Amino acid sequence: MIGVELVKMLRRPRTWVTIGLLNGLPTLVAILLALTDLGPRPGTGPAFLSAVLSDGTLFPLAALAIVLPFFLPIAVAVVAGDSVAGEAQAGTLRYVLTRPVGRTHLLFAKLVSVIAFVLLAVLVVAATGYVVGTLLLGDQPLASSVSGTSLTPAQVTGRTVLSILYVVLSMLGVAAIALFLSTTTDSALGAALGALAVLVASSVLFTLDAAAALQPYLPTRYWLAFVDLFRDPILWRDVLRGVLLQIIYVAVFLGASWANFTTKDITS
Amino acid sequence: MTPVRRWLLVALGVCVLVLTPTAIRSLPVADSDVSAADLLQRVQDSASVPYSGYAEAVGGMQLPVSDQFSDLAQLLGERTRLRVWWRAADDWRVDALDITGETDLIRSTDGLVMWEYEAARATYTDDPPVRLPRAADLVPPVLGRLVLGEAVAEEVSRLPAVRVAGREAPGLRLTPADSQTTVDHVDVWVDPDTGLALRVAVYGAGDTPAMTTTFLDLTTQRPAAAQTAFTPPPDAHVDYDEAVDIAAAADRFAPFTAPDRLAGLDRRITPGVGAVGQYGRGVARLIAIPLRDEDADPLREQLLTTTNSRSGRRGVSVTVGPLGLLLTPHAHDRPTWLLAGTVTQRTLSTAARQLADGPELIR
Amino acid sequence: MIVTRGLTKRYGAVLAVDDVDLDVRTGDIYGFLGANGSGKTTTVRMLLGLVLATTGKIELFGQAMPHAARSVLPQVGSLVEGPAAYGHLSGRANLSLFDAMGTGGPRRTRRARIDEVLAQVGLTDVGRRAVNAYSLGMRQRLGLAAALLRAPRLLVLDEPTNGLDPQGIREIRELLLQLHAGGTTIFLSSHLLAEVEQMCTRVGVLDRGRLVLQEKLSVLQAPTGRTVVRTPDANRAQALLDGRLERRDGSRLLVRGADAAEVNALLVGGGVRVDELGAERRSLEQVVLAATEGAVPGSVTP
Repeated sequence: MIGVELVKMLRRPRTWVTIGLLNGLPTLVAILLALTDLGPRPGTGPAFLSAVLSDGTLFPLAALAIVLPFFLPIAVAVVAGDSVAGEAQAGTLRYVLTRPVGRTHLLFAKLVSVIAFVLLAVLVVAATGYVVGTLLLGDQPLASSVSGTSLTPAQVTGRTVLSILYVVLSMLGVAAIALFLSTTTDSALGAALGALAVLVASSVLFTLDAAAALQPYLPTRYWLAFVDLFRDPILWRDVLRGVLLQIIYVAVFLGASWANFTTKDITS
Repeated sequence: MTPVRRWLLVALGVCVLVLTPTAIRSLPVADSDVSAADLLQRVQDSASVPYSGYAEAVGGMQLPVSDQFSDLAQLLGERTRLRVWWRAADDWRVDALDITGETDLIRSTDGLVMWEYEAARATYTDDPPVRLPRAADLVPPVLGRLVLGEAVAEEVSRLPAVRVAGREAPGLRLTPADSQTTVDHVDVWVDPDTGLALRVAVYGAGDTPAMTTTFLDLTTQRPAAAQTAFTPPPDAHVDYDEAVDIAAAADRFAPFTAPDRLAGLDRRITPGVGAVGQYGRGVARLIAIPLRDEDADPLREQLLTTTNSRSGRRGVSVTVGPLGLLLTPHAHDRPTWLLAGTVTQRTLSTAARQLADGPELIR
Repeated sequence: MIVTRGLTKRYGAVLAVDDVDLDVRTGDIYGFLGANGSGKTTTVRMLLGLVLATTGKIELFGQAMPHAARSVLPQVGSLVEGPAAYGHLSGRANLSLFDAMGTGGPRRTRRARIDEVLAQVGLTDVGRRAVNAYSLGMRQRLGLAAALLRAPRLLVLDEPTNGLDPQGIREIRELLLQLHAGGTTIFLSSHLLAEVEQMCTRVGVLDRGRLVLQEKLSVLQAPTGRTVVRTPDANRAQALLDGRLERRDGSRLLVRGADAAEVNALLVGGGVRVDELGAERRSLEQVVLAATEGAVPGSVTP
């Protein structure tokens, strides 16, 4: 079933349109940077953007930092929100289930397919970032870590791979929330918007001092911790917490999806 | 399984996940029978203890200042995430992290390097005796020694132990005897084995601390020497600066000198060394910085536009939590002084009057 | 093959399906009749495990549903409330995906089986075209093809000729009859009486959630024991048939007695001209109307 879901995802034009759109903004930023040579002021703007002015090989990370806060979660919410509700809307859900495909099995396959989508999207963004970055911004033999130590190209590659994995994991929570909402409604759009509402709420609460007690539980809390992978030595604290938090979100919302979906009357 | 049972199962799982951290946090902490005086002594003797860790400091003091003082304002008013490797008082590294980079201070016997990632700049300076507060001062053991270093046994009492960074830390409350200070009390939780302060909370008036700093991770092993060594990366800008901040610059270059005694407080450093005067003991501290007009005038403008500032004969003053600021008025024959510290406004205006009416202090 | 006992579905206060005991036997073409909103689709969905019964039992092939869905459903082909497919994919790709779902049909024979079902429903020529470009009738055929992919023992079809032109309807009917001849049991839910009348061997009638009738079509349409006569000499005929006339409707007479030949001989012997004469059989429409009006079948006069 996982294979079937992957084929469905990969053969869907929307998948590729979304990934194309995701690449648009970082590419535009790279062009602007190359033309103006103006980095953001310290403490503002996405991480790594000032560093890429001298070293284009870091642009994959800057590209991830650009898409991570908004574009990527929106794409994930749309894809995951569509996963069950979209099939219900199109009427294919009843034929899938009478093949038969076990409902829990279907949920799991849908989640795997969403994760595969995120991985694909992030890889394409990183690869495009690398090509665009080295072409437009040039490269450097030795990159420096955020802490000011030198990193060999092998270290940069290794840490970039870790960052990519971390960004993919960071999207798990959104995916699980959207998947759950997707099982509660026959409207794919509604599920996606619901998941986005959760994210917006999380972002608002994250900036609010009064919500300090809630902050460790917010799905967006540790998203930007992938910068910590480029400190020297790597600061694992927030990265590990971020991964754990996402796993918890997946467990809770996949559990909720299961509770809701396994005996739901399919009337679509 | 019925839907109700399934939902109950999920709800149970959520409860377990949400409550586990709370439950761990509320595990009873065994209190220590160490006395307040003994604990104070351990803190005061902890200067040579090496450690490394991760700490977070949260300041609640919104200073209405910018330009030369904006780093200070950020330090006192916001959350600062700190990584620290401490080998000795002249061999350490403190990284102040933010989401887009970090600003690091690396101290060696040669002096100080500041590394700013986003500017890709390494700035070498000396580590002067007179300077503004910096991120490294918010590392709990540093702040703990700063507030307790001159305390006496009569000023401290015991607080119940809490768990900080996985350690059971008995607490100390410093209630300063000095009537000139605006600090109401300071709570410090201490690792009893090493005397390192693990959490420090400074209170002015009111129940919310003006500044807290706490370790979230700590190891008391001596960090590797490589960890506190720094070589700028090849493409970095390397600067050499003569003074680390505006206070250090004034201290070195201003053609004045602060008096030996101000508002009843004694000057802390050997008199006549520099232009800037640091006064007081313990948590009653006052600093007097002579400013050039190009620094003083924008600061005065800014303080005047602040809603809770007061303007008077002695200058414009503002109070932020336990911190008081006073900028003396412009005068032809004398420098403009910036007076700041954890002392009462009365002390500040007394100091301002003495600076205005006292003998001229040209060096 | 399909047996339900006390099957009931309640949505809040609404009783959608009320105590239905279906009995579909191997080899049947079972016509499941009912007006729109009578609970047909809900019943079909319950049979397939899509909707869970509030109370009651369902058995398919002697196994309890939805508990045994995993072993039962691979032997069932279904078309529920219109076809559905992934629009951006071709018909072939859709069939290939549906076949791979769940336990999956054997991969080795997939291509051949897809070719076969496409030929069966008459879509061979457009199999490679994206479903988005299909007409409703083509989609209906594709849905049927998907149902036939694994050569099911039982076909559960909900309005299978919806959206087809008369030619298409006839083709599908012939296909179903051919499958039936090959041993497939067919459960056909429909609101089209003519369709059911032409094909089915057994009929169940659902009215406002209750199964009001379930019988062999041949039994329902058995002669009623009366003879219908149409004659231009109605008055004379009436006189001849004295006492046996049940009803007169202009030139149409309803005569007690099942032996049409005997009635004919009587009339012709009496010099009555006969336009038309035959044993009375009730149409399915009459049966259904009678059943759904709450009256006991058989006591109704047309």
